[in-house]
Amino acid sequence: MKFGLFYELQLPKPLDGETWDPDAERRIFHEMLEQVELADRLGFDYVFEVEHHFLEEYSHSSAPEMMMAALSQRTKNIRLGHGIVLTPPKYNHPARIAERISALDILSNGRAEFGTGESASDMELGGFGVDRQMKKAMWEEATREITNMMVSEPYPGFEGEFFSMPERNVIPKPLQKPHPPLWVAASRRETTMVAARLGMGSLGFGFETPEELGERAREYYRLVREECFPIGHAINPALAVLNTFMCAETDEEAVRRSANGPGFFSYSLGYYYNPMTGGKHQPGGHNLHRAYTELGQAEKTGDGALAASGLLTRDAIAKDEPQEEVQRALYRAARSGSAIGTVDTIRNNIKKYEEQHLDTLIFVAQCGDRKHEHIMESIERFGTQVLPEFKERHETEHRAWRKQQLDGVDFPINSSI
Amino acid sequence: MANLADVTDTQLRSELETAHGQLRSNQPTQAVHTLSDAFLAYLERNPSVLQKTTPMRDGRQIPVVMRWPALGANLSMESIRDGRPRIEFTRERFAMSEALTYYEFTVETALGEQS
Repeated sequence: MKFGLFYELQLPKPLDGETWDPDAERRIFHEMLEQVELADRLGFDYVFEVEHHFLEEYSHSSAPEMMMAALSQRTKNIRLGHGIVLTPPKYNHPARIAERISALDILSNGRAEFGTGESASDMELGGFGVDRQMKKAMWEEATREITNMMVSEPYPGFEGEFFSMPERNVIPKPLQKPHPPLWVAASRRETTMVAARLGMGSLGFGFETPEELGERAREYYRLVREECFPIGHAINPALAVLNTFMCAETDEEAVRRSANGPGFFSYSLGYYYNPMTGGKHQPGGHNLHRAYTELGQAEKTGDGALAASGLLTRDAIAKDEPQEEVQRALYRAARSGSAIGTVDTIRNNIKKYEEQHLDTLIFVAQCGDRKHEHIMESIERFGTQVLPEFKERHETEHRAWRKQQLDGVDFPINSSI
Repeated sequence: MANLADVTDTQLRSELETAHGQLRSNQPTQAVHTLSDAFLAYLERNPSVLQKTTPMRDGRQIPVVMRWPALGANLSMESIRDGRPRIEFTRERFAMSEALTYYEFTVETALGEQS
C-alpha cells in the first residue's frame, strides 16, 4: 500500500471576526509547501490537491496547478496529483488542461498524476454556468479529448457537443507516455465501477471501511480485466481512499490535536454540496466556522432549518451510520478515522486496508483549524515509524497481487502504483 | 456486486446483455434507451420495487426508484406517484460514463430486489 497527502487548503474564518487576517492565505499555502517537502523527504508517495472555486473556508485551492508547479521544484520523488482538475470545458478549456498537465509533467520529471472530475456544488456549477444534468457528459468528452491532445501530433481538431476546436498541435507533450496516469473522483461506489470500466484510477472520497474496500477491490479489478473500454490511451488500475490523519505520542493527544479538523471538513463539505445550504450561500457574507462551532447551540434549540438541511450535527455524529451513501461519507469524515492515534494505533488500523489490497491510502491532514506544527510532527512520526514497513510490503507482496489481478489485460498500462 | 450473471430475472438479464453489447460497441445512446425500456419493464413485472424506500440526507425516506440517475433519461416523479413509471428523454445523445451509470443502477437495483 502506498501513501499520500490530500489538500483542500481549508481556511476557517476566525470565530471573533468576519474575515481572515490578511496573512492567512499566504500562511496556509506556504505551510502546505513545507508539509509536502517533509513528506517527500520521508518517502510519502503522493500529494493530491483539489480544484475548487468559491467554496470559502472549505477550500481555497482554486489554482492547484500553481502549487503543483512550486512543489515540482521543491520535491524530488513524491508524485504530484491533481485531485482533481475540473474538466467540463466551462471551467477549463480542454487544450489548456492538456498544456498544463504536460508542463507539470515536464517540470516534475514525469511525476504528474491527472485526476479528473466535475464537482457538484451549486457555487461552482452556477459560477461557471455548468449544467448539472450535463456535467458528466462534459467531463467525459473533455477528458477523452485531453488525452487525445497529449498523444496526437497534431491534434486533428474536434467538433463535440460541449467544445470544438480546429486542428492544432497542442504542446508541450507530457514526459510520461502516452500520458500521465488518469484518475476520477469517486464519492459513490457506482463511480468507482465506472472508473474501472473506463480504465481510470478511482480516487475514493467515500471514506470506505476496509470491508467495503475489499469488495470494491475485487469488483473493480474484475471489471478492469473483463469489461474495460479505456477513456485514454493507457489505463491506470488503482484504488485510493481518503482517511483523516493525525499521529501523536498518545491516542488522546492525537484526538486533541486533530481538533475540529474532521468535523469541520465534513460540515463544510456537506454545507456546500447540499443545495439547501450551499445553493443559498451568501458569498463573502457567512462565517462557516462560527456556524459549525455554534451547531451545538442550534441543536439544543431544535433549529428546524438545520435538521432539514441534513447537515451532520454533533449529536448525529455520535449516532449510528446513515444509510445514504453521500451522507455516510460525511459521517465517516467527521468521526475520528482509523489514522488518528499513535503510530501503533494507526499501524494496526491501516493494516486492515492493506489486507484488502488497497493500492493507496490518502491522508487528510490539513483541515479545520489544525496547527501546522502538529501536522508536521504527525507526518514525521508516520513517515519514520510506520511508512517504511508498508513500503517494503508494497514492493514484495502488493505488486505480486496486482500482477495477478492484471494478468491478461492487454491495454497499455501507465500507473505509478 | 453489479455482476450481470447474478441477475435472476431472465428477461432483464437478456436486455442487460443487449445493453452491454451496445456499450462494448461504443453505442452509449442506444444503451441508455435499452436500459430505460428494460428498467420500466422490470418495474412492471416487479411492482414491489416501487414500494422500496431509501433514506435521503435528512433521513426522510424516498422511493428507491427516485435514485434512477437524472442525466437526461429522467424518471417522471409524477408517473411514480401514479404508479405508472415513465422515463422522459430530455437529451438526444449520451456519453459512455452516463450509460454506464444507468447500467450500474439497473443491475444494482435488480440485485438489491433479489436479496
